Order: sequence, then structure tokens, then C-alpha cells
Amino acid sequence: MHTNILLTLGHIIAQSRKLMAKHGAKMKRTLTITLNGAEVTAEVPEHALLLDVLRETFGVNGPKYGCGKAQCGACTVLVDGVPARACVLMASRVSGARVTTLEGLVDPETGALSPVQQGFLDCEGAQCGYCLNGMVMTATALLKRRPDPNTEDIVQALRHNLCRCGTHKEIIASVKRAAELMRKRANA
Amino acid sequence: MPDVVSSALAVVIEGPNGPQTYISLDAKGRATGFNGHVDLGTGITTALAQIVAEELDLPLSNVEIVLGDTARTPDQGPTIASETIQVAAIPLRKAAAQARNWLADRGARALNAPLGQVALKNGVVHWKDTQRSYADLLLDQKVTLIYDPDTPTKDPKDYTIVGTKTPRRDLEDKLRGAHLYIHDLHVEGMVHGHVLRPPYAGRDSGDFVGRSLIGYDERAVQDMPGFIAVVREADFLGVVAETAAQAQAIAEALPTRWRMPPNLPDMSKLADTIRHQPATPRVLDVTGDFDTALVQADHVKSRSYVWPYHEHGSIGPSCSIADWNGAQPIIWSGTQNPHVLRGDLAELVGLNAEAVEIRRYQAAGCYGRNCADDVGADALLLSRAVGRPVRVQLTRAQEHLWEPKGAAQVMDVQGGLKKARLDAYAIDTWYPSNRAPNLGLLLTGRVDPAPRPADMGDRTIVPPYDIANKRITVHDMAPIVRASWMRGVSALPNTFAHESFMDEMAFEAGEDPVAFRLKHLKDPRAMDLVRRTAEAAGYVPHNGPRLRREGRMAYGQGFAYATYVHGPFPGTAAAAAAWVVDVAVDLETGETTLSRVFVGQDQGLVINPDGVRQQIHGNVIQTASRVMAEEITFDEIAPTAQSWAAYPIQTFPAVPDIKTMLIERPDEPPLGVGESAAVPSAAAIANAIFDATGVRMREVPFTPEKLRRDLAVQAGGRVMLPAAQTHPARKSRKIGALVAALGGVLTLGAVSVPLHRSIPPTTPPTPATFSVETLARGKEVFALGDCAVCHTAEGGVKNAGGRAVPTPFGTVYTTNLTPDPETGLGRWSFEAFERAMRHGISREGHTLYPAFPYTSFAKIDGADMYALYAYLQTLPAVSAPTPKAQMIAPANLRNGVAAWNWLYHDATPFAPNPAQSEVWNRGKYLVEAAGHCSGCHAPRNGAGAEMPNMTGAVVEGWYAPPLEGLASVQMNWDEASLFAYLRKGHAPNASASGPMAEVIESLQEVPDPDIRAMSVYLASLMAPATESLPETRALPREADLPPSRASRLFESACASCHDPVFADSLTVARIPLTRAPALRAPTSEALMSVLNEGLRAPEGLDLRDMPSFRGEFSDADLTELTQYLRARFAPDLPAW
Repeated sequence: MHTNILLTLGHIIAQSRKLMAKHGAKMKRTLTITLNGAEVTAEVPEHALLLDVLRETFGVNGPKYGCGKAQCGACTVLVDGVPARACVLMASRVSGARVTTLEGLVDPETGALSPVQQGFLDCEGAQCGYCLNGMVMTATALLKRRPDPNTEDIVQALRHNLCRCGTHKEIIASVKRAAELMRKRANA
Repeated sequence: MPDVVSSALAVVIEGPNGPQTYISLDAKGRATGFNGHVDLGTGITTALAQIVAEELDLPLSNVEIVLGDTARTPDQGPTIASETIQVAAIPLRKAAAQARNWLADRGARALNAPLGQVALKNGVVHWKDTQRSYADLLLDQKVTLIYDPDTPTKDPKDYTIVGTKTPRRDLEDKLRGAHLYIHDLHVEGMVHGHVLRPPYAGRDSGDFVGRSLIGYDERAVQDMPGFIAVVREADFLGVVAETAAQAQAIAEALPTRWRMPPNLPDMSKLADTIRHQPATPRVLDVTGDFDTALVQADHVKSRSYVWPYHEHGSIGPSCSIADWNGAQPIIWSGTQNPHVLRGDLAELVGLNAEAVEIRRYQAAGCYGRNCADDVGADALLLSRAVGRPVRVQLTRAQEHLWEPKGAAQVMDVQGGLKKARLDAYAIDTWYPSNRAPNLGLLLTGRVDPAPRPADMGDRTIVPPYDIANKRITVHDMAPIVRASWMRGVSALPNTFAHESFMDEMAFEAGEDPVAFRLKHLKDPRAMDLVRRTAEAAGYVPHNGPRLRREGRMAYGQGFAYATYVHGPFPGTAAAAAAWVVDVAVDLETGETTLSRVFVGQDQGLVINPDGVRQQIHGNVIQTASRVMAEEITFDEIAPTAQSWAAYPIQTFPAVPDIKTMLIERPDEPPLGVGESAAVPSAAAIANAIFDATGVRMREVPFTPEKLRRDLAVQAGGRVMLPAAQTHPARKSRKIGALVAALGGVLTLGAVSVPLHRSIPPTTPPTPATFSVETLARGKEVFALGDCAVCHTAEGGVKNAGGRAVPTPFGTVYTTNLTPDPETGLGRWSFEAFERAMRHGISREGHTLYPAFPYTSFAKIDGADMYALYAYLQTLPAVSAPTPKAQMIAPANLRNGVAAWNWLYHDATPFAPNPAQSEVWNRGKYLVEAAGHCSGCHAPRNGAGAEMPNMTGAVVEGWYAPPLEGLASVQMNWDEASLFAYLRKGHAPNASASGPMAEVIESLQEVPDPDIRAMSVYLASLMAPATESLPETRALPREADLPPSRASRLFESACASCHDPVFADSLTVARIPLTRAPALRAPTSEALMSVLNEGLRAPEGLDLRDMPSFRGEFSDADLTELTQYLRARFAPDLPAW
């Protein structure tokens, strides 16, 4: 039944969205976030993606561009502690939020690696390391919710993070090691 | 050569352009090793540092390694064939030994010790109880030694650093985000380029290459923000802008015209297509008399094995920065081949190679020739044009489409058994691949795009067995699509053939496959590897498939073995590897699980055991993915996959348990391990599947669908699942037919002749005369009707009209709502305004096209109508004439719209229902009048008029779901959820998207009581009728479907957001797909809109976005995926 020959609101909105997508946005807006513990502000183009803003405006290199479609996870950041794929996330959606990247996991006082970073270092959870950011950020969120994960928990938590070098085995070991380090620190 | 000058001691080799340093030591006794190879992400830097530290007797921390920079490192060829340790490290080791000898000599003299009697340890020379540090010995020295390849090196039994577990050196920086990949590099003054590739994606031969760009319109984009230049040379086209996002936006907006390339041959019949391409046979090994032996054999078999095209699929698309630098260009690159790239880029811009400098940075993991070199050419061409450093980052789609693919390959094998021994063996290999000329050279026409074969199909082409009669032939041929080496190169497919065929022949001979292999092996080292691997893995000998069953599962074990042979034939052996793999096959779904992979490997001396094990793991996991899941598909012109969406790779859940056994051979030279463990993979898995099921897989990938098919065909098993249902293709809308059908009613022409009386222009009341309350209410009504959306042109002033509204009958334009006297509503009296709103007639008496929803607005009450009028009169006046409508078929509008109005337009005012509450009536009024919800949610009749009930409608590609009737009941709406939804766009049972998200944005102006009233009214429409059965009131759960290509596409493209790990993430869908209106629509049209357009919610709302998947799927994939989504998430509804 295609009887909708008359123009409607829906159609016009759809048209407008196509054109917007084509020509990009021209407006700028102010974005303030707490990035790795420090409040930062910048003028960013409307519809700018968080990944671009982090890398280009705030000079943070941890999150990486891999696919732009939330498929590979290389761009993962924590927004208020929850993993989000910065390549599909408009920066304006995190206005006022706490954004944490790989750089922000280290101890700000001592510069020591976080337990998850240390776990990946101890177990060599990377070959080329391009996907490492996503693995570490996702593992950090996993361990916050489930401090003592078994292999299946880790596999399931990382199932949407792609690694092409085939470092999966070392990554699983790294997350287990991270859990162990967290327990040690908690007991210390 | 700065490193020669600044060093205290250097070992150099004389090159064509001056000395090249292998090793230098500074005055503090720290060493730097220089190697022309690069680190492809394997951590090879660490292994090379171990080698240098060992020979120099230095602590590992005092050794740095520089890789791949053309100005600093020797040209040692491309980093391929796992050669770095085996070949390229040799001069490094010898040069280190030479430097050590110098230090020993100098130390002995300084300590008055007999030459050759001093001991060197940790950077210090010892004689009895005296000592001198290297730093002391090097103070104020400037020594250059010419490299002596005959320098003896340390006896491996004295090794303390090589062969011990050593942590990766680059990892900590990578974990801190501090390591600078090529993608992270910033060069002072750099700007950004974005390239536009031709439509012949991934093709590199044929006379259309470099000759297909007809033209482009730079004027259309030169006013866009950040614009710097459009650069063209033949088919090379790129834009440069201040930021990367701007460059991409300009590139996407740049109008271009290309000639369409000729079709590819039929890639769906891959083996036949490859065999029929032009090829030159190269006979590599003729032993005995194959033809006679075959005739005399007891059993003869002919088999074909087929390998598909694969993506390298680096996780980071290639990136490069180039600085033209006044014809002394510097290129920062993630290349695999710095010195080759230098030559290519020099040719590209007409310079001598010496004028070009490549600075090598790590990129994402590289498993062969990807786009890293191509993007260097892109950056250089753009930098030359604009005279500034330019960074180019390829998109995922550009990388996927254009990377030289891992080549497909066909292996035709014939063999004969005589007295249970393989007596005759012939293999014919077709390998359509070459070294992939730099794309910049091809696009600019610098090199001729003639088909060019290469000789790389011969890797491991001779099976390692003792066979009396052999004929080994490679058919050298040019690529069909751009293809080049990928991990394992042709050795991997060749071994798939050899080692599958050995298994097939062992079965024919009635012997155990491992015993059968051993019978044919002579090399003791190979036999040792095979025996020890089988034993350590707990291999269970078997004659013929064991077909072990447990319920629906079948279990099997497979063996394969190979030596990876690289380099020009007969080549050089790298490490040898053997696989024992255990599989579990689900006989109902056809899914194969690799439960354990045991790899035994003989690589001679082990430099870094952890590094070797990691290479084995990586090879197993990556190759298992290639063998089980990966395959590039093509449309008529090009490969189809633009991202992981249509090229799924295996992820964590598929990773097998991997066990490794490194055979210790410290007295043998180290052999490359970068690829060897990949080579036996496919055959081992096929052999295991055979043991489990009796089914022989001869075409990679081994998908569940193929196994289901073959279980039925080959093993005589029952067909487990019905063939995928076929559905008629989505019908295209037959607008033409509709136009014809409506002709009698609606024949439209230019809207020019007034049909009604004109209402004279007046001067409206001044804004001050409207009360604050009236204006506030007017603003609410304006928002409720979402007037601004239609009455604002793209890029135009808000509410000034001019938006083009394409219709089947031509284009009309929305009007200017601002109070401008000449072009807007500035001379409209309230009477004129009200007539337009209620009857669709303009002030001048023209009939308005019924796209304008006056059929709903007629029900707006007097007070609201006046408030709206008042509000519009207070808007800032903007002069903006409404463009004239452009209608096709000039004809008589009077008859058309007048008749239409007579038939379908009911202008009677809204009448409350006294039986209902006041709030309910208020809600009904808002929904039916200003809200004009029926405009989208009511289906329309053949003449385009709304049907009386809002039972859902597809509206220009989007689906407005039912607001009444059974289908709406299933969504579990109630007043509270409706209120949340209309207020914030989100409720537990639904989330606004597409056009509705924009409506919610507009509703932000509407006060809570009105939202509440609409919720009350709509909830009453969607309440379950008492007679409906409870089970019909709920949505079904998602269906459990068998694995298929579509299920893999879903997992790869959709699942990270629609089957998320962290449900509270800002980038995941808020409602399950079982509740998605697009999947419950009568056709897949709305789903297609979502996939094509993506979703972009207004920024002010806490809603979710979705990226566009336009072009991500081939038509066939799209059909399969949409049908899968419907069947899985709306199993109660008819299939599409």
C-alpha cells in the first residue's frame, strides 16, 4: 500500500536530514567536559564526533579511528564510567560528562599504570596495539562491574572489539591479571 | 649521515649514496642498531635489540633500534616473507660483533691485558680485577669501521639475552596512549587531505585505469568552510582543507562525473573465472614420469581446492603525512617497504630517489601489502599542490575497497596411489596477484595499467614429501582485482591443497594420516617435528573418519604440516609448523568450533620465546578466521565490502584454546616465524571436519551453510534445515501508475489561477496589541504543529519558507511565515490566515497543495488559531520570495484540488465528546488539530487522503507506527510511557528516532498539561480491547535462527549496538529490535531508510544516533539481512 503520494512532514524532515548530512554543519557550539579529571572547554562544530574532538581538539591519542561505525571498538572511551564508541557519538551528547581515555587511567599523582594497564603490560596483551585502547577501556568497565570475571565473562565483554593481529589469548590473560592486581591493591 | 658523525663508534657499509650505518655507539656506551626492515606490529624491535645486546655484551636497556627510515637505515628490501630475523638481522648481528671486537681490543690495551683475554659483560671490559666501561673507551672517539661480513659471532651456547623471555619495549607507551603511531603524528603547519577514488574500486589494470574522470565542479565547494584546494591529476582527485572533517565534507559534496568501468568477470564462479584468465604456466618441478605413473596407479584422484579473496583488514586504515618541502619531500609513513616506497614516490613526482625521505612510524598491524604506500602518494600529490604538509587518513571504506587483496587461488591436484604410497602428484596453481603497483602511479597514469603477472604463486608449491613422480606448475597471471601478498602468501592455499590431498590419499590407502605422511618424509628434522607434535598433542591415529557423535555434535581431529618457503623459487625455508586441531561440528546448524589448536614449530634458534609464541597465536587466530569465516564478495564492478559490516571476522567467542610447542634447536640459525604457523591451518581444519563428519571441505571458508549443504549431499545426511525462503523482491513504487490512476481526480498544473476570492491586504495588529498569554500559546501551537521544519529552507532563514517539496506531480515550495509585507504574512489579515489554515486557500485565492495539512488544521479552535496568527506576526520579518512551483503536466488545478477537497476535506470544527473527560477531549483536540498526528500515522487512500484511523503508515520511506488498533496494543503503551515518550523522546518501551525525534524536539515548547492530555487520549486509543486475547497483546520474543551469512553480518555490523555488552552505553540502542517500528512495518522500506540514512537525533534530546550504512552491503546481502532481521525480531509478522 503505497498511497502516500502527498507530501508530509516525515518526508520533508527526511529530505532535510539528507541535505544536512551532505553539506555538514556550519554552526559551532561550546563543549565542556571533564576529560581525564580536568575540565576542558572548546568550540566545536555542530554534529562533531567525540572521537574527532578528543584527537584533534584536545590532543588525546589513546582512542583510535578504526571504522567510524561502532564495529571495531578502537575508539572506545568511558563516559561516566561506561564504554561508548566515540566514532559514532556526537560530542554534544557528552556535554558535562566525565570522559576517560587511556591517558586518564594512569594514577595522576604517581603516573603509575592502572591495574588494567599493568595487566596488559604483564601479559603482553597487544601486538600492534592499535586495538589496545578499546580492549583496555572495555576491560576497565568490565572489571568495575565484575571484579572476578571468568574466561567466558571476558570473552563476552570483548566480543565486539576486533583485533586483527590475533592477540586474543594474551588479552584474556591480561584481563585476568588485571583482576588479580585489583584484588591485591584492594587488600593492600 | 648524522648518526655516523655523532657516534663515537660506527659500523657502516658503503652504499651507492654514501655510508649506511648498521650499529653505532655513543660516548656513553649506548648502542643503536639500524635496520631497513620495519616493525609491522609484531614487536620485532625487541628481538632485534636482544640480538644487538647479546653480541655487544650490553644490557638490553642500553640498546635502541631504528627501523625503516630511509635517511638512516640501509635498504634491506621490503619487510616480507618473515625475513627480518632470518635475513635482515644477520648484518646487524655481525656489525654488533665487529663493534664488540673493537671494544675488546681497545679494552685490552687500556688494561694492559693480552689481546683476546679480556671478558666483556654488561658494557664493561674486565681483566682480572681491573675494568674499563665502554663509555670510558669511547670517550672522545670518532671511529668508523667498514662492515665485515666475515666477522665471527658469539657461540649460541654462551647466549644470556637471546633466547630468554623479554618484555616488549613499546608496550608501556602504547598502554599510556603515548606511543605515536603514524595516525597520531602532527607536523607543524599541516593541513588535511581527503581523496576521492574512482568507481573502479580495487581494480588496477585495464585501459580505464587513470582515464575515467570526466570532470568535477570545484565552484560548488569552494565556499565551504576550510576549503583550500581541489587537486586532480588524471584519475587522482583529492581535496585539501584546514581540518580533516572539512576535507571529508568537501570531498563528499564535490560533484564529480566518472565513466563507469567495464564489468568484472563472474566472480561468483571464482574457480572457473580464475582458470580462464590469461596465464603463463611455469613448470617448477618435474620428477620421474607423472603421466605414466598416474596411468599405472592403483587409485587415482583429481581434486580442486579453492581459496577466496581476503582482506588484510588492518584495524587502522592507512594514514600518511607528506611535506613537499621545496622538492625535497619528506613522507611520514606506516609503510612495509620504506625503500621501495621512496622509489615509487620519486617516480610519481619526477624526482631522484635520493631527494625523497621516508620516515617510518608504526601503523596498525600489517599482514601484507595494504594501502600504507598508496596513502603516501596521496599525501605527496596534495602537498605538492598546496605547498604545505598534508595529512591524509583513508576511510575504512577506502581501505577495504582499495587495499590489494589477499589473492584468491585455485589448486587443481591429481595424484595416484601405488601400493599404498603416493606415487604420482601434480599440482596446478593459479594465483592472480602481483606486487600491487602504487595506486598513485596508476591513478595519475605514471605507470601503464597493463595487466602484470608476478611470480609469487610458487611459495611452498612443492610438497615436502618424497614422491617418485611429480609435476608442479604455477600459472603466473595478472590480478583480476588488485591483489598482493598477504600472510602466508600462496604457501597457505598451496598447503591447503597438498595437506588436504595427503589426507584424502591416506583415506584411500586405509592408513592413518600422520603415519601416511611420515612414510613419505625423508628429512629427519621434518619427521621429528611431525612425530613430536602428534605425540605432544595427544593425536589419536585413525584409518578413515571416526565420525564420533554425541547428540547433535560430531567431533574430529585433523593434522597438517608445512614448511613455509618464501622468496623466488626454489626459495628459502622459514620455520616449519605442524597443527593438530580438534573440532566440534554441530550437525544441525553446521557450525564448526575449533576447540583446541596444538602447534608444534621448528624455528631453529629462538630469539624471544614469548615473541615466537605470540606469533603462533596470532597466526592461528587470524588464519582460523580467514578459513572459517572470511571471503570477499563482488558486484558486477568491484568488491562490495566497505567495512567489517559485510566482511565479518572472528572475534573472542571463536578463539580456540591454543597450545604451542617450540622445538629447541639452539645450534640452528633462527628462522622467520611471522607466517609459518598459519600455513597448515586450512588443511588441518578440513581434515578434522572430515574425521568428524566424513564431509570433505575443499573451498574456503568453511561456513555453516556450506557444511549444512555438504552434510546433506556428501555424507547422505538429512537436510537439517529448509532452504532459505525466497521472497519476491521489494516492489518499487509505481508512481507513474498512481499518477495515471489519479489523473481523473487530480490533474495538476501551475498554481497560478486564483480560484477563490482574494482577501485584501491589510496591516495586521502591532505585536504590542497581543497579550503575553496569547503569544505564549501561539508559540506552543506553532511547536505542536512543528511548522518550522517545513517552512525553513535548507540553509535558509528560519520560518522564511522556500523549502523544495518534491511531489509526484512536480516541485512546490513552502511559504514564508514571517510577517514580511511583500513576501510573507505581513499583509495577511486573520481572516485570510484562518481561511488558509482551514480550507487550504491562500490570501490571493490560490488553492494550496494539500501537502499543507489544512485537513487537520481545520480543527484548530478559534483561540489557538488566533494565538498562532499572533505569534507569527511577531516573528522577525524576513524578505524571502517563495519560488514558483514547477509542476509537470500543466492542466486544470481547479477541478483537481477542488474535487479533492469536496471528497476528502472536512472543515467542521473539532467537537468534544461529552462522554469523555475534559483532559481526554483536550488530548484528542491536540492530536487531531494542530498536532496533525494523522498526517503521518494514518494510512491514505488511493487519492492521497487520510483514512479515518491512525493504524500506521509508511511515509516517504519512514514508518509511522499504529496509534490505534491491535498492533499498537502490543507495544504496551500507557499514559505514563506516552508522556515520557512525548516529553523526552524515550520511554521504557520505545525511543523516538528519525522524523519523530524531530517532532519530539519541537514538542519541547509544548507545556506538560498538553503533553499529558495527548498521552491520555492516545493511551485510550491503544488500550487493549476487552475481547483481545492476552497473548496477542504482547510482542513475541526474538526467534532463534540458524547461523547464516546474514547472522554474521548482523553480528559484525549491528550487534555492538543492538546486542550490546554494556546496555547503558551512550552508543547502544535503547530499545530491543523486537520493538523497532521499522521491523514491524508492512515492508522493508522503512528499515532501508534507517540503514541508508542512519539516525541523527536532535542534539538537545537525550536520544541515540546511528551511523549510515549506505553502500555497506551488496543488494544480495541487503536482501538477506533485512529478511533475517524481520524473521528474527518480528517473528509473528509475515516475512518480507
